[in-house]
Amino acid sequence: MVVLGAAVVLFWPERPVPAAPTADASAAADGHKFVLRMAAPQSYLPGSLPQGVGQPLQGLARVVADFEARFPDTRVEIIAVPIEREFLVTQLSGGAAPDIVCVNVEDVWVDVQKHWYVPLDRYLEQPNPFVVAKGDPRAPGTRQWWDMFAYQAITRGKAAPDGRNYCISLDMVETGIFYNKTLFAAHGLRPPETWSEFLVLLQRAKELGLTPLLTNVDCLADWGADLVFDQFYRELLPGIDVKKDDPVRAAYLQGYLDPEELAFLQRQGFFTRRDPRYVEVWRKLGELRPYLTKDINNQDFVREFVTQQAAMIWNGSWFVYRLHADKQLGFDWGVFYLPPMFPADSPYASGLPMCVIGGVGNQLEVTNSALSDTDPALPFAERMARSERLQRVVALLQFICLPENTDRIVNEFEAFVPNIVGVPARPQLDPFVEILKRRYTTTKWTYSFDLRFTDILKRTLHLYLTGAITLDEFMRWQEGNIATASGNFVQRMNFDFAPLQQEWDRMAPVRAGFRDLPTPPPAR
Amino acid sequence: MSRARLFAIHAVLVCTAALTLLPFAFVVNNALRDNFEYNRSFFGPPQAFVGLAQAGWRQATGDDRPLSVQLESGEVRSMTRGEVATHYWDKLTLGIRRAWTVLRPYLFNSFVVSGLTALGVAALGSGTAYLLARYRFLGRDFIFGFILATMVFPGVLTLVPSFLLVKQLGLLNTYWAMVLPYVAGGQVFAIFVFRSFFTGLPEELFESARLDGAGHWGLYWNIVLPLSRPVFSVVLIMNILGTWNNFLWPFIVNTNDQHQVVASGLYTMARSGVASSSSTMYAAYLLSSIPLLLLFIYATKPFIRGMTSGAVKL
Amino acid sequence: MKAPALTPARLRFAAGCHALLLPSVLLLLVFVYLPVTWAFVKSLYEFEVGSPARFVGLANYGEYLFSDPPTWPSVLTMFLLTAVGVAVRLTFPLVVAKLIHSLPFERTRYVYRLIFLIPIVVPGVAVQLLWARMIYADYGLINEFLRTIGLADWAHAWLNDPETALLALMCFGFPFAGGFEVLIYYAGLSAIPESVNEAAALEGCTGISKFLRIDVPLVLSQLKLILVLTVIGGLQGFEGILVLTQGGPGFETMVPGLWMYYNAFSFQRMGYACAIGVLLFVAILGLTLLNLRYFRSAEEVQGGSS
Repeated sequence: MVVLGAAVVLFWPERPVPAAPTADASAAADGHKFVLRMAAPQSYLPGSLPQGVGQPLQGLARVVADFEARFPDTRVEIIAVPIEREFLVTQLSGGAAPDIVCVNVEDVWVDVQKHWYVPLDRYLEQPNPFVVAKGDPRAPGTRQWWDMFAYQAITRGKAAPDGRNYCISLDMVETGIFYNKTLFAAHGLRPPETWSEFLVLLQRAKELGLTPLLTNVDCLADWGADLVFDQFYRELLPGIDVKKDDPVRAAYLQGYLDPEELAFLQRQGFFTRRDPRYVEVWRKLGELRPYLTKDINNQDFVREFVTQQAAMIWNGSWFVYRLHADKQLGFDWGVFYLPPMFPADSPYASGLPMCVIGGVGNQLEVTNSALSDTDPALPFAERMARSERLQRVVALLQFICLPENTDRIVNEFEAFVPNIVGVPARPQLDPFVEILKRRYTTTKWTYSFDLRFTDILKRTLHLYLTGAITLDEFMRWQEGNIATASGNFVQRMNFDFAPLQQEWDRMAPVRAGFRDLPTPPPAR
Repeated sequence: MSRARLFAIHAVLVCTAALTLLPFAFVVNNALRDNFEYNRSFFGPPQAFVGLAQAGWRQATGDDRPLSVQLESGEVRSMTRGEVATHYWDKLTLGIRRAWTVLRPYLFNSFVVSGLTALGVAALGSGTAYLLARYRFLGRDFIFGFILATMVFPGVLTLVPSFLLVKQLGLLNTYWAMVLPYVAGGQVFAIFVFRSFFTGLPEELFESARLDGAGHWGLYWNIVLPLSRPVFSVVLIMNILGTWNNFLWPFIVNTNDQHQVVASGLYTMARSGVASSSSTMYAAYLLSSIPLLLLFIYATKPFIRGMTSGAVKL
Repeated sequence: MKAPALTPARLRFAAGCHALLLPSVLLLLVFVYLPVTWAFVKSLYEFEVGSPARFVGLANYGEYLFSDPPTWPSVLTMFLLTAVGVAVRLTFPLVVAKLIHSLPFERTRYVYRLIFLIPIVVPGVAVQLLWARMIYADYGLINEFLRTIGLADWAHAWLNDPETALLALMCFGFPFAGGFEVLIYYAGLSAIPESVNEAAALEGCTGISKFLRIDVPLVLSQLKLILVLTVIGGLQGFEGILVLTQGGPGFETMVPGLWMYYNAFSFQRMGYACAIGVLLFVAILGLTLLNLRYFRSAEEVQGGSS
């Protein structure tokens, strides 16, 4: 007992842990009117070392401290939470979620009808009060908060399928293939222009005894699948994009295939073994198989690149920081983007440049915890109108969006491209600023359906890429997987296909010009 | 026994022990090296050790020339001996210090949860077992059956509904979400062990105490408890080990990081941004083992005695 | 003994006892019996947390048994892992315990017992994470060792290669001697009466032959305990697999318990997860009963022959 008592004293947390998670209780405890809880973006978590190197981050903590200085009745707790959706769902359903969370907004879309998240449109359409207070009438944000965002189309493209915006996008992120410039120069290699050249390059690297391309199955299932898919399906869109997009999103998404469209197309025989393009997507990805690492589920795959045992690594812009921070790196590096496929590479390709798949990076959402000062029995809109707490949460987001604040947060290290007008990106990120000018992907598969879909996709893709199952076996899995996932989606959303069917029939003449479309399934 | 045989036995045991304990040596080593070092080679001593040794050598030889040290920013700076020592000491302990800040609240939570659970299990387990073992009353066998029957239900059956229950009760993110189910489940094993021990106590002890005027409470407190020390130590240690090591349940019922215990905290750490710093992660493994190590140093003797003396019948 | 009459005094005494037992019983009712009941009831529904439930009858059971692809491979994996777990837990620690027990001095015996107990101070999840990230990893202990001695071709992504993942899981914890088992077997060996040892020595029965013919049968109750614990743990445990391989690559190391976990907490299919739990319960119960019956008869045979 004595030992236990001593231990309790020794380990007593510096800040007392509130017994109850409810914000009101802890607020009453320390005399603040509002105690806001913000799940810090993993990338900006104060005190953490991004990618385990360099100095602890301070930017977000400083901005939040300034906010607290401005609103003495408010305290902001920055907390670290795991990024998985399973975690978030439990938090939200248990009413224990932070007021602000940072997840991919696609994960939010699935749950908006449960009123777990607060739409932010009415604030985005109003001036940002902190900009107004500065008194410069020409500063972006004076008229509408919206105007502060640098990548307008991408930012507005993050509107949910219900047309509303649930996130503030602080920064942009994009993927690219980092290569060892020094090694490339020594062996006369250069970045490829076509898919075939890419394969040749990988083969050369392999012959040199290097690991040609570092990536893992998560990246391939997400980025790889979407990029190759876009190569083959982009040009079919006029004949298969059966849902006209919301005008606000259209500028950026240019015929994005939403989950319901994917589900509809699946019923027309697409994305099955009878759809030669879909089989081709995975066949082409399979071409990378000989050039990957032994461990394609490795989450820690940077090592071979920094020790010069690998020629290339497919990674996100955040990796710039890791390379930049390593003073003993001993080589030059560059970035290129995945080259397009031409008819010589695949019968369904046309040399269309590869699209981008990244876009907004850290997305901040407001949860229903921000409405905890209102009666849950009231209609949601009523609660939004009444909640003082929500006002303060939104104010925090508005404050973070001020250029000087975003600069302190995003530009503390070179990982992401700031999305606020007047905040330039760190120069090392220039290749990614260039890549971001490309058009957006046709769809994002791993964000379309439920987690079961993604889980099974990753598992079976892993088997396929390690040669444990054949393309045909993989396709059988994937066919069943999509069928189940789209079936669940339709059932969950109670979706009515009639309007899509009408549009589909109207588009029949366009499709007459396409070859090798899948045959519809036999009538059941 | 022949010398050669003795030697062979020792050789086998030492090798097995080495294989068992070797990984932990690497944990210590990795806890002291930063990511750059860790990424470059798996083996190899911490750079900071080399630096400290260098400073120490100069101290010993009275060499006062300044040393040039490359900082993480790439800048090379000339430092005095003392500055070098401080620099490398900071580098050496960086992972441990970081792990400590992350782990500290988890450790606190673990102490509270394990302590409350152990108290609950000891009190309820021994009390209930005493009643069931030494008294005859209506419905006793039924109650005992009712308690023992719960051993049939595996955790895998109740995991999901228990989560739903705890959520329904509004206990998510509280200590109760852990302590109450732990006590409920943990007492069963305790009752089982205590009861068989109490049943085996000779009746004469109780007779004579009763003649001396001891009541029910007095018998329990003055006769039974002092005799059952080894059993208590086994039950409590097994229980504390169980609660301390359980990661899945705390991971599920604590959606809020503030209430994670060590085991679930380690798991969330491994999946969060912290994991990208290898030294922090390894230092966390190290730090998380210290409390139980202390408990063991303190309690091994009675535990081993309890386990091997036959007091505890499993 | 004749049943005593139900006097008011006896009833009052019984009521007092029951009142004292109430906390224990109440806790079990709420935190064991209620969830168990729910498991059966909710397995007939399909629902997400935060959404209304839909009654589906036995559809969840049907789906799991007949149409969910991971089901049968994962059942096979579970039995395989359990069998291997039983095999190693009945042998390695027993041999270690026997070796320790055969040492002449109590002090050295104590030190060894202590050494093999030390690993239990490291939280289980830390050990699992260590094996995943430090021992089996691409740049982990095993591969770096192989590369150092020039066997780079032997390096594998142990946990992420479909060919080695299951094997790697089976070898997790090698040499399987750090834990309670050694102590439990040691207790069993210590309890063998000196007369038995002397008699064996007189008949010239020593070494391995004595170990197999005398020691093993006499620690049968310890072996049985470990067997039962390992079987139950093997059928319902999945935390280690969750940490080490997440059931991957593919479904190579998936077990039903883990699939239940994913369905509940990742895919939000609570009813389906409950159905898997119920089926596992039935399997475990069946095996436990079988186990008890078999062992009772085995013990009777044992008792009759000696």
